[in-house]
Amino acid sequence: MSVHREEILGDFKLVEYVPFKLTRPSYGVVALPDAGLVGVIAAWHIIKALGLKEVGGIDSYSYLPPAIVVSNKELRMPVRIFAGDDILLIYCEFTLPIHGMAQLSRILLTYFERKGVEYLLLMSGLPIQNRFEVERLRSYYVATSSRASELVKGVEVLPFENGYLVGPYALLIKDAMSFRLDTLMLLTESFLEFPDPEASARNLELLSKVINKPIDVKELLEQAELIRIRARDTMKDVVRNLAQMKKGFEYSPPLQL
Amino acid sequence: MSTHPHYSYEGIEVSEDLDEFLKRMRRVERRIREYIEEGIRKTLEDIREEYYSINTLLNPSWSCEGHLRPLYTIKDVGNAYVIYIDLPKADLNTIDVRFKDNLMIIRARLTEEFTISRWSGRGGEVRFCEYREVINLPIKVDPNKVKVITKGDRIQVIINKE
Repeated sequence: MSVHREEILGDFKLVEYVPFKLTRPSYGVVALPDAGLVGVIAAWHIIKALGLKEVGGIDSYSYLPPAIVVSNKELRMPVRIFAGDDILLIYCEFTLPIHGMAQLSRILLTYFERKGVEYLLLMSGLPIQNRFEVERLRSYYVATSSRASELVKGVEVLPFENGYLVGPYALLIKDAMSFRLDTLMLLTESFLEFPDPEASARNLELLSKVINKPIDVKELLEQAELIRIRARDTMKDVVRNLAQMKKGFEYSPPLQL
Repeated sequence: MSTHPHYSYEGIEVSEDLDEFLKRMRRVERRIREYIEEGIRKTLEDIREEYYSINTLLNPSWSCEGHLRPLYTIKDVGNAYVIYIDLPKADLNTIDVRFKDNLMIIRARLTEEFTISRWSGRGGEVRFCEYREVINLPIKVDPNKVKVITKGDRIQVIINKE
């Protein structure tokens, strides 16, 4: 593992393997384990579809398990950083405890700011109780600014008007508002406790229109069953962590409606 | 006659100094109680965490013999328990769901054997061919009160409580 630059940020270590720059407008994407592993599944497909290169990694002895990722004989950190021309993507399959997630969120946003990222794009699942019966999945968006809302102009997606968002992405959005980073989150109805590649595919179709890049989801849908099998262990771990974060709140209507 | 102001503690008249002392003792008592409660809560959390970790370690989701354990959840919807089971790549004609007391036994063959290619280690050599799982249910099941619905490769099992 070659190291171009290394930095200690709080309880985390950030390493860049190679120098890189982003063209404008640039997008930051963060994939963390959440409902249905929708974001993580989508992110891995983006990496393959757009040919993103692994440029760095993040580790923490306090908040991440003592683990290393071995990928194509290369040793990689548990939180992986990929980059393309105008996309900087953070990918993590490991769930962090809340305190760790809070710190990581701020570190990621600081890093995005330093790299000149203009928009933060997040994708996740919106768990629904009757996902078993639902065939046609609805998608929603949450935007932190009018500039971010402009990204979905002309895109067939509903605004998420009222409700709760709970979990790692909620932390990211809160911090993104403090950092004044224009953020757009796409949410597609999904299972909470089962990997949901169909929801990921729907999010990717929308993302493709948002960033104006073709992302073909055919292969993702063909591989959906295999993805669901491979993701079982990760999913079990995620469900437990989401329960600790009180993810069940998302099923409740807010009192102020 | 005493010139010290008088206070009442549990109906008993006490002096100001004693009242102040008793208040301090109550504050110390409260802090000790909170400290103990926090300690118990943390210990229980650590025990739960350790139990979960051991459980995960000793109950892997796949076996060298070629079977997989499916993901499932059990939901209590009031008048029934609903169990959802995820069976990707399962041959729907081979799904077998049986009940014995409070156990639900599931087996299903896969549409085709497969290996998780490029996975280093013995796991990458295993040819997976079926799902097997035994689920502990919260109640003893009467198979006549059970409804099994399949939707693609996902199953919904509804067990009425009444």
